[in-house]
Amino acid sequence: MEQEDYIIEMRHITKRFGAVVANDDVSISVRKGEIYALLGENGAGKSTLMSMLFGMYEPDEGEIYIRGQKVRIHSPNQATKLNIGMVHQHFKLVQNYTITENIVLGIEPIRRKFGLFPCVDLKGANEKIRALSKAYGLEVEPTEKIEDVSVSIQQRVEILKMLYRNAEILIFDEPTAVLTPQEIEFLLEILRSLRDGGKTIILITHKLEEIKKVADRCAILCRGKLVDVLDVATTSTKKMANLMVGRDVSFVVDKKPPKFGDVVLDVKDLCVENRDHFDVVKHVSFQVHAGEIFAVAGVAGNGQGELADAIAGLTPQKAGKITVNGTDLTNLGVRARTKAGVSYIPEDRQAVGLILDFSLGENLALKSYGDPPFCEHGVLKPDAFVEHAKGLISDYDIRGQKPEGPVRPMSGGNQQKIIVAREIDLESPLMIFVQPTRGLDIGAIENIHKRMIAERDKGKAVLLISLELDEIMNCADTIGVMYNGEMTKIAAADTLTANEVGEFMMGVKAQ
Amino acid sequence: MNHRTHPVKRAFVKVLGGRRTQSVAIPIFCIVLSLLAAAIVLLCLGKNPLQAYAGLLQGSGLFPKDSYAAHRSILTDFISMVDNWTPMLFAALAVAIANKGGLFNIGVSGQMLAAGFTATVLIGYSDLPAVVAKPLVFVIGIVAGALVGALIGFLKQRFNINEVVSSIMINYIIQYIVSFFIYTYYVDPISRQSRAVGANARLTLQQVSIGDLNTVLPIGFVLAVVCVFVLRFLMNRTKFGFELKAVGANKRAARYAGIPVGSRIVLSMTISGALGGLAGVTYYLGYYASIQPRTLADMGFDSIAVALLGNSNPVGIFFSSFLITAISKGSTYMSSTVGVQQEIASLITGIILLFSACSAFIRYLVEKYRVQLEEADKAMAEGGKA
Repeated sequence: MEQEDYIIEMRHITKRFGAVVANDDVSISVRKGEIYALLGENGAGKSTLMSMLFGMYEPDEGEIYIRGQKVRIHSPNQATKLNIGMVHQHFKLVQNYTITENIVLGIEPIRRKFGLFPCVDLKGANEKIRALSKAYGLEVEPTEKIEDVSVSIQQRVEILKMLYRNAEILIFDEPTAVLTPQEIEFLLEILRSLRDGGKTIILITHKLEEIKKVADRCAILCRGKLVDVLDVATTSTKKMANLMVGRDVSFVVDKKPPKFGDVVLDVKDLCVENRDHFDVVKHVSFQVHAGEIFAVAGVAGNGQGELADAIAGLTPQKAGKITVNGTDLTNLGVRARTKAGVSYIPEDRQAVGLILDFSLGENLALKSYGDPPFCEHGVLKPDAFVEHAKGLISDYDIRGQKPEGPVRPMSGGNQQKIIVAREIDLESPLMIFVQPTRGLDIGAIENIHKRMIAERDKGKAVLLISLELDEIMNCADTIGVMYNGEMTKIAAADTLTANEVGEFMMGVKAQ
Repeated sequence: MNHRTHPVKRAFVKVLGGRRTQSVAIPIFCIVLSLLAAAIVLLCLGKNPLQAYAGLLQGSGLFPKDSYAAHRSILTDFISMVDNWTPMLFAALAVAIANKGGLFNIGVSGQMLAAGFTATVLIGYSDLPAVVAKPLVFVIGIVAGALVGALIGFLKQRFNINEVVSSIMINYIIQYIVSFFIYTYYVDPISRQSRAVGANARLTLQQVSIGDLNTVLPIGFVLAVVCVFVLRFLMNRTKFGFELKAVGANKRAARYAGIPVGSRIVLSMTISGALGGLAGVTYYLGYYASIQPRTLADMGFDSIAVALLGNSNPVGIFFSSFLITAISKGSTYMSSTVGVQQEIASLITGIILLFSACSAFIRYLVEKYRVQLEEADKAMAEGGKA
């Protein structure tokens, strides 16, 4: 059995980025002609492992065997030579080129006109691609431009790109993240037909139902380590979810029991569309009380970000009602909502939360610069900015810049402290924290969590939106889980285990 | 040992790298570089660059000529340069305020022409007394320019039409509409330009006697200098300026902070257009008295480089516009004294503008070298320890 026909073997792979161990002694073996799923949370090391197979990184330790041969894959070109192809989460296509031009890019078929002048044989390539797309059921019109076709067609183009290069091993990184449910069904069908055509497929995902539907075997990664390899047919999704999120809690946040006050944030039947008029938040209703941390859990892209933006007024709401302390926010602009009592720590601190070329003092007053003491009769008072900044710098231990200096060179942790300091300083009854600790080190994370809990204890209503299950389990008083734009579960934090929350996040369970 | 590695880079960083002095040091460096490059061109032509540069200064009234005609002196030359400087200063300020708001106003020429034409038609041919006519010319210039700017801003805010595209198109539209009206109603049969405006409406007083001298007197210059300080205050010390810079630096963050991004875009284009309008009236009803149909003023495009050379800072622009005007004004005299063609004089102005546009690149280079040197020093220090 051990000497079976493995097409890929990755043995004892370890990869470190600085102090972070992304993959720790991971060994996997993939049989020819199977769909092999890699399951794990955000940051579990799935993508890193596959990036090494595709030659984007090289492992620090360990060996890779392809078709029994030991190989060193030092570049994606090398991987292509070994018949390995990868569809990345973010497509790598030239928008204003046709489908054919994208597919042949880099290996253009050359035809000599009049036996002399070399030119790209697009007509021949069109025919070849038409034949290829028929053979695998990947219908595309080769002469259409990428910018004119839908996301699911673009994905097919990525797949055709691999097939055109004679790929035998196909790696898919979160292929369904960008697709609608019908498109997902279709993609899964394509995956099956590719496998039946003899291709080997590695599927990176954190959606259990997809694995259950198409995968033959499934490797579960957790924090860079391989937890288990399971036969999908004989394993329940529940067990997979448990293995995926089951872990020791890394550190526990010191927290007093909550004292709930009145309802501060009341969201009723909220619907939000994205730019493509696709419903991303669907009829969500919940309440957050004074002195409560309401944490929204969910896998990335299930509508949490839009929920926060809609409450803050950055995204228009399609339907529903949002009130804060009885004030209806529906028709208010961003500034008016801030005045009505909304503080917002956005997910993207550099692109949204700060103006990197503005000074520290200006950034700390980014929401109050127009009011006294910063501004009187439309004229700014620079001294007030500096004084205000000095106070917050010492209160929040912001390091690395003077009040007059720009915030661009500061570290991520200190930049986040600026935003947290500014938003807490507004003394709003409602505080929205979105991914407040993303990319920060342990010390900074602890600092932010303490601040958040201190605000709760002061009687603020806190809405925490996070992709980190640890953070949610540690900080929340109430947990709401979002799946596919809906709030599928709302319960007191102490009535749920991390595993149960994980199951709701995966859509395994529904209320 | 340390100081001997990369001496050129080190000197480069030392001279241009000071955080406070950088905004002055880099433009001066650019100017010196361009003068050197132009000197090479002149040497190739067998001319003495020093003599040529002296000619530039003499022509713009910054250096005494050997002899003057009757009722002329270095002062009259200087004032006549200021007459040309005034519209350039307005035009560059127009570009700068749009820049601060993250917009590129390439339509200053069109705004100038719209304002100049409107004022010429409404006031230039009227019999109003000078005390009424001149202020009205300023007001009409401001309003006409502001309307064109507001239109560009509105198209950007409402329909997301890139301001560069709409400005260029509007430039054409204004240019041809104005040409049509000039040829149809206002043409001077001899000069083929619009008929000259009356002295009552002209913003540059002609034939003014000061002592023995006979000079022009550009009254718009006072307003231009006032604008420098008003804009400086507006950008640095007002709520509006703060919001404008926020929108220019990071639109998403500005929106997040509750700043009405769209209205700030329209407003900054409106102010920019108003300044362009002032440039127009001081150009077409000041420096000149008529409008040449079917052309746009080069000044509107040169002002972009002037604004960049001045780092979009009003005070910086005061100096950069002075420099560029002095050179272009002095180049006529230079071409006659040194005996180079007028084209060569324009070439040298062009070289200076080209180099001045490189200031962003030089700033980038300085930062790159600084990082390189810091890393090299660090590696050295660690190597020393080991």
